[in-house]
Amino acid sequence: MAAKKSKSSKFATPSSARLWLMYPPKLIKQPVIWELTHKFDLVTNVRQASVTDEIGIVCLELEGAPAEVEAGIKWLRKLGVNVEPVELGTVES
Amino acid sequence: MSDKQGYMKALKCRECGREYPLTATHVCEFDFGPLEVAYDYERIRKSLSREAICSRPQTMWRYHELLPVAGEPTVGRQVGYTPLVKADRLAKRLGIRELRVKNDAVNYPTLSFKDRVVSVALSRSVELGFKTVACASTGNLANSVAANAAAAGLDAYVFIPSDLEQGKIVNSLVYGANVIGIKGHYDEVNRLCAEIAGKYGWAFVNVNMRPYYAEGSKSMGFEIVEQLGWRIPEHTIIPMASGSLLTKVHKAYQEFIKIGLMGEAKWKMHGAQATGCSPISAAQKAGLDFFKPVKPNTIAKSLAIGTPADGFYALKVMKETGGHSDDVTDDEIREGIRILAEDEGIFAETAGGVTVGVAKKLIASGRIAADSSAVLCITGNGLKTIEAMTGHVGQTRDIRPSLREFEALLAQDKPQLVKG
Repeated sequence: MAAKKSKSSKFATPSSARLWLMYPPKLIKQPVIWELTHKFDLVTNVRQASVTDEIGIVCLELEGAPAEVEAGIKWLRKLGVNVEPVELGTVES
Repeated sequence: MSDKQGYMKALKCRECGREYPLTATHVCEFDFGPLEVAYDYERIRKSLSREAICSRPQTMWRYHELLPVAGEPTVGRQVGYTPLVKADRLAKRLGIRELRVKNDAVNYPTLSFKDRVVSVALSRSVELGFKTVACASTGNLANSVAANAAAAGLDAYVFIPSDLEQGKIVNSLVYGANVIGIKGHYDEVNRLCAEIAGKYGWAFVNVNMRPYYAEGSKSMGFEIVEQLGWRIPEHTIIPMASGSLLTKVHKAYQEFIKIGLMGEAKWKMHGAQATGCSPISAAQKAGLDFFKPVKPNTIAKSLAIGTPADGFYALKVMKETGGHSDDVTDDEIREGIRILAEDEGIFAETAGGVTVGVAKKLIASGRIAADSSAVLCITGNGLKTIEAMTGHVGQTRDIRPSLREFEALLAQDKPQLVKG
């Protein structure tokens, strides 16, 4: 996984997202975060990570223009990554 | 009690242990781990005794030193102290020596355990100066936030998926809450709610108020111990949605020991899920420390969280206590609801059917020994999920107002009762 650190935003009106990414085994070998930062103008910062044979779990901060953040998340989902806010299930019964 | 903190010390990250002020915040700025309330147990030990508890009104607030509200509660002052029912008929059916049902199906005011967590979250919100409260919910939580906010004069925003059944929406609208339907997939609704909570700074009960909110669940555990005659049950079986309730009832048992109200004891915490949404149960059965997200497909809507926020911690508690988890199909859930109703006169919502069904499995497999005692936690009322049982509980048989027709019917059922 690749990550850049951002201390102050380089974006005029930044949008940030704090996310849990959960990868199925077929994506564990793929440099997903590196690809994300090359496809979209986004800054990533990994806060926690755990990778096993069963699942890859990465806690990621994502910063960029709002449309880029949205597009990046859409791309991750399309790839098969489960994307949730760090709060996880906020919709309860 | 201090004006601002009561018996609380700080908010503490469950991952790295960093401490934060007691504000409306919920994740650690370093590792994004969840924050939890830390207490001054030495002070609590001096203030809280069995005698003090017994002298107080029979509500969840009789344990207020161990709940995260600094002063007197202002919202939901009558919540809790629901019956702990000795369930001998169900015990006999399931094959266990001693069984009790903690019946939050009759919790006040909205007939679910959510009134516990919401009354804590809203009381703390008032202390922190909030005027607007919010939640994202498909049922019990929405009802509870709407009702408790109305009673406290707070403005409430309830976010729901736009395709939710009309009956569930009425249960929130009636209290005058602002109910906002969101079009889109669950994942999108989920993230939008986290964003709204961050941007508007409202007291979002299960987002930025979550450290306080979740602690309200401990009151169920405190009550179980007191109502059992100051005894911790050998086995507690708890339905799992986020997994929070299981971890908090466990924490309640630990805290009573920590402050000297109980001697050392051993107990097992068991978790129940529906097969159609069983990320925690599947992980426990596979011996994993983490869960894999799932797309829910079950009649137990109140447990349908595919990415449970406390799943990791629930797995940890079950492992530490030697507890187990299992899951049940929709048919087994209906059977669970039916046998609890037929044996004990308690009509639980689908989550209750899950709990009874899983208890039956764990007892039958010997994971819960036949010669032991157990408590089943029932978290909501069956009147809220009637559609799950419609068409599965038999039908009425109509007759004309004629004694002859009635006796003909009785003769078919129980001929020995017919008088000549």
